[in-house]
Amino acid sequence: MGEMNTLQKVEAIKSGELSTTENIEDKLETIEERDGEINAFIETNEDVLERAKEIDRKIERGEEVGKLAGLGIGIKSNINTKGLQATCASKTLEGYVSAYDAVVVERIREEDGIILGMNNMDEFACGSSGETSAFGPTKNPSAEDRIPGGSSSGGAAAVASGMCDLALGSDTGGSIRNPASHCGVVGLKPTYGLVPRQGLVDLSMSFDQIGPLSTDVSGAALLTEAIAGLNENESAMFDLESVNYLGEVEVALDGLKIGVSSKFRELTDPEIMDPIDEAVDYLRDQGAELVEVDLPNLEKAMPTFYLILSVEFFSATRKFDGRKYGRKIEEVCGEEVLRRIVRGKYISRKEFKGKYYQRALQIRTLIKKELTEALKKADVLVGPTVPKLPHELGEDISPGEMYAYDYLTVPANLGGLCAGVLPFGKVDGIPVGLQVQGPSLGEASVLNVMKALEKR
Amino acid sequence: MKIGFEIHEQLFTDQKLFCNCPTNYRDVPPNTNVCPVCTGMPGSKPSSPNEKAIDSAIEIALMLNCEIVVDKSIYIQRKHYDYPDLPNGYQRTSLPIAEDGELEDVGIREVHIEEDPGKYDPVQGKVDFNRSGIPLVEIVTDPDLSSPEQARDFLNTLIRTLEYSGRVRPEPSTLRADTNISLKGGNRVEVKNINSVKGAFRALKYEAMRQKRRKEVKRETRAFMEGQMITVPMRSKEVAEDYRNIPDPDILPIRIEGEKVEKIRAEMHEPPHLRRKRVIEKYDIDPAVADVLVTERGFVDLFEAVTDEVDPRFASHWFKDILRKVLNYKDMGPEDIPFSVDNLVELLKMVEREEITPEKGELILRKMVEDPKNPKKLLEELDLKAIDRGKLVSSVEKVIQENEEAVRDFRSGKKEALNFLAGQVMKVTEGKADPREAMNVLEERLDE
Repeated sequence: MGEMNTLQKVEAIKSGELSTTENIEDKLETIEERDGEINAFIETNEDVLERAKEIDRKIERGEEVGKLAGLGIGIKSNINTKGLQATCASKTLEGYVSAYDAVVVERIREEDGIILGMNNMDEFACGSSGETSAFGPTKNPSAEDRIPGGSSSGGAAAVASGMCDLALGSDTGGSIRNPASHCGVVGLKPTYGLVPRQGLVDLSMSFDQIGPLSTDVSGAALLTEAIAGLNENESAMFDLESVNYLGEVEVALDGLKIGVSSKFRELTDPEIMDPIDEAVDYLRDQGAELVEVDLPNLEKAMPTFYLILSVEFFSATRKFDGRKYGRKIEEVCGEEVLRRIVRGKYISRKEFKGKYYQRALQIRTLIKKELTEALKKADVLVGPTVPKLPHELGEDISPGEMYAYDYLTVPANLGGLCAGVLPFGKVDGIPVGLQVQGPSLGEASVLNVMKALEKR
Repeated sequence: MKIGFEIHEQLFTDQKLFCNCPTNYRDVPPNTNVCPVCTGMPGSKPSSPNEKAIDSAIEIALMLNCEIVVDKSIYIQRKHYDYPDLPNGYQRTSLPIAEDGELEDVGIREVHIEEDPGKYDPVQGKVDFNRSGIPLVEIVTDPDLSSPEQARDFLNTLIRTLEYSGRVRPEPSTLRADTNISLKGGNRVEVKNINSVKGAFRALKYEAMRQKRRKEVKRETRAFMEGQMITVPMRSKEVAEDYRNIPDPDILPIRIEGEKVEKIRAEMHEPPHLRRKRVIEKYDIDPAVADVLVTERGFVDLFEAVTDEVDPRFASHWFKDILRKVLNYKDMGPEDIPFSVDNLVELLKMVEREEITPEKGELILRKMVEDPKNPKKLLEELDLKAIDRGKLVSSVEKVIQENEEAVRDFRSGKKEALNFLAGQVMKVTEGKADPREAMNVLEERLDE
């Protein structure tokens, strides 16, 4: 069974070849065996086996089941799942049990996915290492002693270690792609406005986007199909009923324009470029055309991102005033969360109007324009995900060094574009993820290129 | 003296501004008209602003002669401050949807829409979020008013205009006002916490007096204390020095199309001050009578509905003197009137043609508001048909005989005794006599 991809596994479950109960029991056993060490879950769901039996009965009776039938799915702890805790891995929301389902969770339930529990994460998604959780750091199952990356650390680690078939993460500046890269799994940050955010606790609302983590491309496509599409009660969304990525089968790499940028190389450690170069060569050998694109302001994306994020995060956390939910955020949160709140509070001052925030919004527009132009010349951009290898768990690094992990992932968030990550080789035994960025609503192209590389 | 206002009124929509919760917050137990959005639960996302609330604000702005901000992105801003009634720690308020209006020579600077906070009870320390997210219209005036009296009159006109629009909640006023006032050469003082026109008047009176007595007036924000009728400085904690406004990243900006504005303009209600002017000119009626007619839109609507068939001047006086009185007595608004326009026209014609006396007309009207039947039927039912001359004469005889003293008084020159005697005739005839005719017969008999 180990050789099946996620799509084949769903087919096996639907045909009765594999029972949901078997699959879920296997996941529970793995969690039991490994999570004490990895710490990928903050809370596990109680009634999963009953749900599994229900789905098995449905299949036995020949009833139609959803496209996620029988898969075990982990949910990041910043996504509301009724009855489970949306702690955001923070003392602020410790014990906060969700009173409602996020739209994406509702959709997973409708598609017969089984929610295994709430994954660990960096506190309020503020971090790129998986170390800032109030419930302890997550370990990287694919690279001993290294950080798993973040902030969707628990989801990536749970998928990498076989505790989940799939996981939902959120990506504000790389929070799906960064841990996917470090843990050696597939991740996708969908186009901003494609997946409903109702139920996702805010980090930076104009960047946040929910997306999948999976062992393979088919799983990422499947979960994205399940959660994408308009939520009538949300403002900033595309008016798209549904999306279909699995239907579009074989990719013709022939004639596909692959964008590469010298900026990627400039910002990245040379050793990481080796597998990336290999991937680009492979794509060219398969008939793709390489196009050099110009991204002159790419390195400005990171500081711009942190300015905007801090202001939005300051605003978003005003509700955690200690009156309704647990404790006042400033009194109990970790260092990085506090740093962002204080920074946001400072730069949003009236006297600085036009100096930081306004200016950052202008640069954001500039970078978005550059990326959009580049993606007119090329169908997708291919490059590295994280410019350096993950540090050792517990190693003391400065905030600046931490933010530097995000150089290559934040541009897609600034541009509202889509970007996927696929494990492509290892450096010193540590997985390296290749990033494929596509234009707005270009998920099909991104997933197709990832599929082509996955088959190699 | 310069006075300006910032007025908030609740808009009359079925649903809240950023979620689908119902808005009848007064009719339900606390915290029942709520959802994750209007209680600001972690992860909740607002929907796009309620279309009906936007349309309502546009109509109000047009009635205030404003320019609507058309074909531009109007951002919803987050205005941050910390108070228990504010579930998110910020209030969502739009940038102006309209500007540069005017109401009776007072400039209307801006019109916005925003969300109402919840209701905080500081004594019990409890918050009711039923009200949270109810749409508000915010109207900002220029400081064009120059006395508390003028300010009061203006507020009344403004509130009447809002009522005319039918776009604000019909329950007893939900007005919330901030005012700013400065004396010549002095600093501007803002006064918050005003909940009525009377309150605004008193606050301004107090402030004007207070500022006059000061050598130097501090630029500050003060709170009106309704009970004591004074203003006091707000504690610095209560006045956010910086709201850190940012566009709400979760909400796409509003865009108003010119076509929509024209559609609303074509269907909008005529504002009361213009209606007053038109009614005076069109029907040639007294301004003082017109003032009464336009107090409520339903009232002047009804008036105009009868003018095709009844003489407008006659009708206008009747509306002012009798219909108004009966409605007030019954504590009814024009919208509560149960009878049809046809029945009212019928009644007015009966009075106009002198088939019945105005007094009987009033008696029938009183009945008609309880029992909305044809007035002719009511006339019979009430047995109000005038008594014949013979019966009247004999009644007059009877009164003269039984009231010798009054008769003597009258004959010795006390003319007011006649009124007393006429009253007695009405009593004897159980109100069925025509009082004017009774007077005539009495006088004839007494002069003999």
